[in-house]
Amino acid sequence: MRKIDKKEADAYFRARVILITSCLAIGFIVSYLVVFLAESLLNFSFNGFPLSYYMGAQGAVITFILLLFANAIISDKLDAKFGLAKKTNQEMDTGNTLNQ
Amino acid sequence: MDTQFLVSLALIVATFGLYIGIAIFNKAKETSDFYVANRSVSSVYNGMAIGADWMSAASFIGMAGTIMILGYDGLAYIMGWTGGYLLLTFLIAPQLRKYGRYTVPEFIGDRYQSDVARLIAALATIIISFTYSIGQLSGSGVVIGRLLEVNTATGTMIGVVLIAFYSALGGMKGITWTQVAQYVILITAYLIPVIFMSLQLTNNPIPWLSYGEIVGQLQDLDKQLGVSEYVVPFTEATKWQFLALLFTLMAGTAGLPHVIGRFFTVPTMKAARWSGAWALLFIGLLYLSAPAYAAFSRFILMTKVAGSSINNLPAWTSSWVDTGQLSVADQNGDGILQWTELIISKDIVVMATPEIADLGIFVIGLMAAGAMAAALSTAGGLMISISAALSHDIYFRSINPNASDKKRLSVGRWSIIIATVVAGLVALNPPGAITQIVAWAFALASGSFFPALVLGVWWKRSNGPGVIAGMLTGLTVTLAYIFAAKYGGFTILGIIDTGAGVFGATSAIITNIIVSLATQAPPQKIQDEVIDLRYPEQITYKNGEVWIDESKNA
Repeated sequence: MRKIDKKEADAYFRARVILITSCLAIGFIVSYLVVFLAESLLNFSFNGFPLSYYMGAQGAVITFILLLFANAIISDKLDAKFGLAKKTNQEMDTGNTLNQ
Repeated sequence: MDTQFLVSLALIVATFGLYIGIAIFNKAKETSDFYVANRSVSSVYNGMAIGADWMSAASFIGMAGTIMILGYDGLAYIMGWTGGYLLLTFLIAPQLRKYGRYTVPEFIGDRYQSDVARLIAALATIIISFTYSIGQLSGSGVVIGRLLEVNTATGTMIGVVLIAFYSALGGMKGITWTQVAQYVILITAYLIPVIFMSLQLTNNPIPWLSYGEIVGQLQDLDKQLGVSEYVVPFTEATKWQFLALLFTLMAGTAGLPHVIGRFFTVPTMKAARWSGAWALLFIGLLYLSAPAYAAFSRFILMTKVAGSSINNLPAWTSSWVDTGQLSVADQNGDGILQWTELIISKDIVVMATPEIADLGIFVIGLMAAGAMAAALSTAGGLMISISAALSHDIYFRSINPNASDKKRLSVGRWSIIIATVVAGLVALNPPGAITQIVAWAFALASGSFFPALVLGVWWKRSNGPGVIAGMLTGLTVTLAYIFAAKYGGFTILGIIDTGAGVFGATSAIITNIIVSLATQAPPQKIQDEVIDLRYPEQITYKNGEVWIDESKNA
C-alpha cells in the first residue's frame, strides 16, 4: 500500500466523469433527440429507410454498442495512464467484499 | 408430421440434457458459488449469460410481432431495452461490483445502513421477479406442450422440474454456464430463419442491410392501400408517450435486480464494463434482427397472402388459422382476402417464419429449442434472484446471521425449488393480472430501484430515511399513475400506464434528495465508501486519504 496525492485521484475521477457524461450525451442525442425530431426526419432517407425509422431500428442500437466498447477501451487506457492495471486485474478480488 | 415430431423431440431432449449436464458439472459447493459464481466469470461469457438472462420468451417469440403491428411506435422497445445497458454500465453496475455484495437489496441495505430499506428492496425483487417468471414458465409450457403433443399444464411442469433441478444444483455458477449455452442456441435459432428469408426476398444474406429496401416497398404498398403507414411515427400514441415509455424501459432495465445480479459474477470493475459491452453486442444481434423479421413478415403477408383468393391461400396459413394466431375472413364477400381482413397475432411472426420460408423440419425444431432456451434462461436468472432475496437478504441478514455456509447453501437450494414450484403452479392458470404486472415491471423498477441505486452510487449525502421515503414515494406515484391512466382516464400529455416510470423515477429522486437533506448526513465511514466507488479496486479511499495497492496489479 502506498499513499498517493488526493489530487491525482481527483484527476482520475474527473476524467471518468467527462467520459461518462460525453457517452451518455451521445446516447441521449441518437435516441431521445432523434425521436423528438422524428416527423421532420421522415423525409430524409438512409439505405432505403426513412432516417427516423433507421435510427430507431438500427442507428441508436449500433451507437449504444459502440459507446460501450469505447468506454471499456478508453477506461482501460485511463487506468494504465494512472499506473493501474499494469498487466491485468482479472484475477483479483476486492478487499471489502462480504464473501465469507 | 411424425418426422417433424421426432426431430423436434430430439433437439429438445438434447438441449435439456446439455443443461442438466452443465449443472452437474458446475455444482455449487459454497455460497459464493451459489450467489455469484465465485466471481470468476470472464467478460465475454458473462456478456452471453446476460444476453440469455435478459432475452425472455417474449423477446424471442413476440418482439418482432410487436414491431410489425405497431410500426415505428414499436421501436421504443428496441431503443429502450438496449439503452438500459448504457445507464447500467455507466452509472450502476461496475460501482455495485466494487461494493462487493451478493445482491441488490444487500447493497441498498448496507449503503444506506437500513434493514428496512433492504427488506423493501428484497420484497420488490421477489414481487417483480416472481410475476416475470410466471410468463416464462407458461411460455415454456406452450412450446413444450405444442411440441410434445401434451397439454400445456404438463408442458409447464416439465419446464418447472428442469429449472428447479439445474438451478438448485448449480446456483449462479450452474446458471451462468447454462445461460451461455442457451444464448448460443437461441441466437442461432433466431438468426437462421431471418437470414434465409432475407436471401429469398432480396438475394442478400445480410438482413440488417437488406430490409431497408423492403421497408421502402412497404411505404409504397401502404400508400396504395391507404392504410396507416408503417414508418410514420406516433400513429399509436403521442410523442410524449413514446419518450416516456423509452425512459421507463431504459431506467427499468437498469434497475432490474436479476440483470444487475449477473454483474456481481465478474472479478473486477473493469470486467463489469467489458461485460456490459459484450452483453449489448450479443443482445443487439437479436434486437437488430427483430425489425427485419417484422418488415419481411409484413411484406409477405401484404403481397403473398393479402390479395389472394380466399380459397387459395398459401398452405402454411391453415395451421396458424387453426391455432387462432391468424384470422382470415372475407368480410366483404368478394372472394379475395384484403389486407384489412387479416388479423395477426404478434406471436406468429417469428414462429411461422420457418414455414413461410419453407426451411424444413430441422429449423422448425431449432426454433422450438431456441424459444425454450430463451424462456428457461430468463426463468433461471429470475429464480436465483428470488432465492437470493429470500435466503440471503431476508434469512441470513435478518433472521439468522450466524447460519453456517452449509446451512445457507441448503436454504438457498430449497428456496429456489419452492419458488420455482409455486411460480409453476400459478403459471398453470395465470391470472390475467400477470401480463399486466409484467408490462408494469419496468415502471415499478424505474420508480424504485433505479433512483435508489443511482443516488446511492453517485451522491454520498443520500441516507436511509431518504431512500426509504424515495422508494415508497416512487412506488406509490408509479402505481397511482398506472391506475389513474388505465382505469381513471387521467393522463398527462397522452402518457399512458406503460410510461408511468418517468413520474415514479422523478418523484423518487426528488423525495430522496429532500428527505436526505432534511435528516442527518450518513456517517463518515459510509460517505468514504461512496467516494471509494469512484476508483478502481487498486485504489482505496479512507479518511480523506487515497491509498494505492500495487500488489493488486500483478
